[in-house]
Amino acid sequence: MTTVEKLKRILVEDLNLEELTPGDIDENAPLFGEGLGLDSLDAVELIVIVQKRFGIEIRDMEEGKAAFRSVQALASYIEGRLSGG
Amino acid sequence: MSGTGRIVIEGVGAVGGFGCGIADLSRALADGDVRPGSLALSPGSGPVEFAAFRADTSRLKEFVPARDLRRIDHFSRLALLGSHLALADAGLPESERHRLGVIVASGYGATGITYAFLKSFINDGDICASPTYFANSVHNSAAAHISILLGARGPSLTVSQFDLSVPSALLCVREWLLEGRVDRVLFGAVEELSDLIGYAWYRLRGASCSPMTPLWTEKETAIPAEGAAFFLFSRAEEARAGYCTLETAIVGSPANAGFPLPGSGLLLLGADGRRETGRRYAPLAENARIACYSPLYGSMPAGPAFDLAAAALILKGGRIFPSPGGASLDFPATVPAGGEPVGTDRISCLALADDGAFGLTTLGKLPDSQ
Amino acid sequence: MSVAPVAIAGMGCISAAGRNLPDSMKSLLRGERSPAPPVRFASDHPVRFPVFEAVDFEEPPDLLRTGAFALHAAREAVADAGLDRKTLGALRVGVCVGTTVGSVMSEETFCRGYLAGGDPDMAPFRRILRSNPADVIAREFGLSGPRQTVVTACSSSTDAVGIAGSWIRAGLCDAVIAGGADELGRITYIGFISLMITDDSPCRPFDKNRKGLNLGEGAAMLLLASEPALRRSGMRARSFLLGYGSAGDAYHLTAPRPDGAGLRSAISEALATGGVSPASVAFVNAHGTGTPDNDRVEGRVLQDMLPGVPFLSTKGYTGHTLGAAGAIEAVFTAACLEMGKIPASAGFETPDPDIGTLPVREVTTVPGSCALSETLAFGGNNSVVVLGRA
Repeated sequence: MTTVEKLKRILVEDLNLEELTPGDIDENAPLFGEGLGLDSLDAVELIVIVQKRFGIEIRDMEEGKAAFRSVQALASYIEGRLSGG
Repeated sequence: MSGTGRIVIEGVGAVGGFGCGIADLSRALADGDVRPGSLALSPGSGPVEFAAFRADTSRLKEFVPARDLRRIDHFSRLALLGSHLALADAGLPESERHRLGVIVASGYGATGITYAFLKSFINDGDICASPTYFANSVHNSAAAHISILLGARGPSLTVSQFDLSVPSALLCVREWLLEGRVDRVLFGAVEELSDLIGYAWYRLRGASCSPMTPLWTEKETAIPAEGAAFFLFSRAEEARAGYCTLETAIVGSPANAGFPLPGSGLLLLGADGRRETGRRYAPLAENARIACYSPLYGSMPAGPAFDLAAAALILKGGRIFPSPGGASLDFPATVPAGGEPVGTDRISCLALADDGAFGLTTLGKLPDSQ
Repeated sequence: MSVAPVAIAGMGCISAAGRNLPDSMKSLLRGERSPAPPVRFASDHPVRFPVFEAVDFEEPPDLLRTGAFALHAAREAVADAGLDRKTLGALRVGVCVGTTVGSVMSEETFCRGYLAGGDPDMAPFRRILRSNPADVIAREFGLSGPRQTVVTACSSSTDAVGIAGSWIRAGLCDAVIAGGADELGRITYIGFISLMITDDSPCRPFDKNRKGLNLGEGAAMLLLASEPALRRSGMRARSFLLGYGSAGDAYHLTAPRPDGAGLRSAISEALATGGVSPASVAFVNAHGTGTPDNDRVEGRVLQDMLPGVPFLSTKGYTGHTLGAAGAIEAVFTAACLEMGKIPASAGFETPDPDIGTLPVREVTTVPGSCALSETLAFGGNNSVVVLGRA
């Protein structure tokens, strides 16, 4: 499973997006505001999710903001950190 | 504030072991019998299953879209369901919600999500604690979700005083309306029977093996429960139809002279099968006609709110429901099976804490003109 | 719309700033503060966040720390009013106390034991059942009046004080011990860190470079009394509760409404019930937690509704004491009114152009006769009290 696919599954499960399936999520759509419509509480939850599921620590929301632009952006960020970036 | 100073209950909503809504509650009161469900746990000593009154929130989706409920836990769902049922029962239009105060009473609060929060860091380390679970584990999360989803921007209050949570909160229901701070108050009590509370109950009291018989005060027969009972209160001048008036709300400890029990009329007892509080009711109920409906919804700090709902239904319908299990030696003046006309303009609901503090709420019949 | 003032006959408080009110005020006016990583508990979180613990305070084994704080402050308030258990017993006295931790039905050791498949000792759970702060105070003084524990998160004890005032005006009782208490523990610490609203350095309310709050703990109690009770018991009024306002944002569980609409309504109601105009407000004790969101919203509302009125946050001295904050800050407000001066807003250095106003940077004389204390809570509850000089 690619990181993008893994993330879509995680988002549906961990954020309890009951009425969506992973296939419904557009990896290039915004996560916050429009697109998936997540909010500030989801943002901090996502930081914990990334820590728990991938072992990656995001220290502050500035770092988080860039990574959370979309599912694709987050996948790239995670892959970059995992490969030692 | 001019006017009669009278406060009216315009709507009632309730969900619990008896079902969901006023029709289910009325049927349970008329039948005098509700079979409890059960709670299954796996503590260290081995799996147990014991009688418990469980509440089902599946009807909440009639009022709130699933999308808005994704982060909302069972405790807040119970409160949301109770709220919407009460508002629907009162027929309050959305346009009249802006001067709406919200008051929630709960003895134990959101224990399910609190336990989930603890698990999130116990299992994976402090850095993996879930902020969503934490934000929802504050006691006032139910009131917050209610206010947010209803768009209610008046004051909001949450009260937690164990067995006296309901009568204590009613003090503020009354004052907010009489002071003119708000035009209406959505008030309710909610209790969640989480695994954590169920386990503590089981350890402290054991499992109940028999139906609840709270009026046999020397026995321990309490069955743990969850549910929500909500009411829409308004001043009499602004109320449409209604159930009854709120005459008085008193909370205190008996000083020297005993306390102001009504001489006649009907007294609903908050006895709920717990022996240590049950035995306190007997000496107080010598002269009053008694009923005790807790066997229909179970034992929980929010219980007195269900007594209030029963009283409201009696005053509106004109007939007293039979007290489940009938009279006992301690309470010979219990309302007999078969029900009877109310015969009184007032019903008082009495709740006792185990240290002798009490809450006494008196409801009155609406004048015929209303 | 304005309501009758209610006398405040006694006050007590405990926090990292001091074990009692006089010591706390001395320390505030000297600009002292010593936030440090927690010593009473440990966390495996990689960052050590400063907190404001009342390190010298030990609770007895049979009570939750929160209940013990509540008792400590209540005893000081009752003694300050010149009363004791016997003289208090001649009055019908209620209790109205705010808290968050004091009402939470969980304890980590107990939960760990259960989660691990054991049958943990029930003592921690029994201690919780015994430690409801209003019950604890009522038992200590043998009180017969109404009792209520308010759990509206960070605004709990502002609400408790406001509610106590309404009980007295309505004649429900002669006096009320009103206030709040909250202890700092691991669960709270971990929870606030997870929300990413804590600062890993000493907090900087209203500062341009603020990063978040520091947690604190403590309690404060005010003895409110009716006029007849004052006279009958020989108490004197130290100050007055003039007004109270409260309104909800109906917006979000943790973030304040960006336009501060709820806070605006609460301030308006407080001023109206207090019969007080913005021009006569001597100062404002702001909520001022040091989080980017709170201080921006609150600062802008203050700039708009009370322009030119000096304001400060005392959370730079006590940390955010959650359910106790409203009462601790009301007590500081009353004490400052008596003295006619306010301390510097600790932690503030650089103005934030995004807020457009700034708190006082040094001890400031405030000759006016009334002041506001405000608290903004999770769940969007905004509560404000107006206090007046005796």
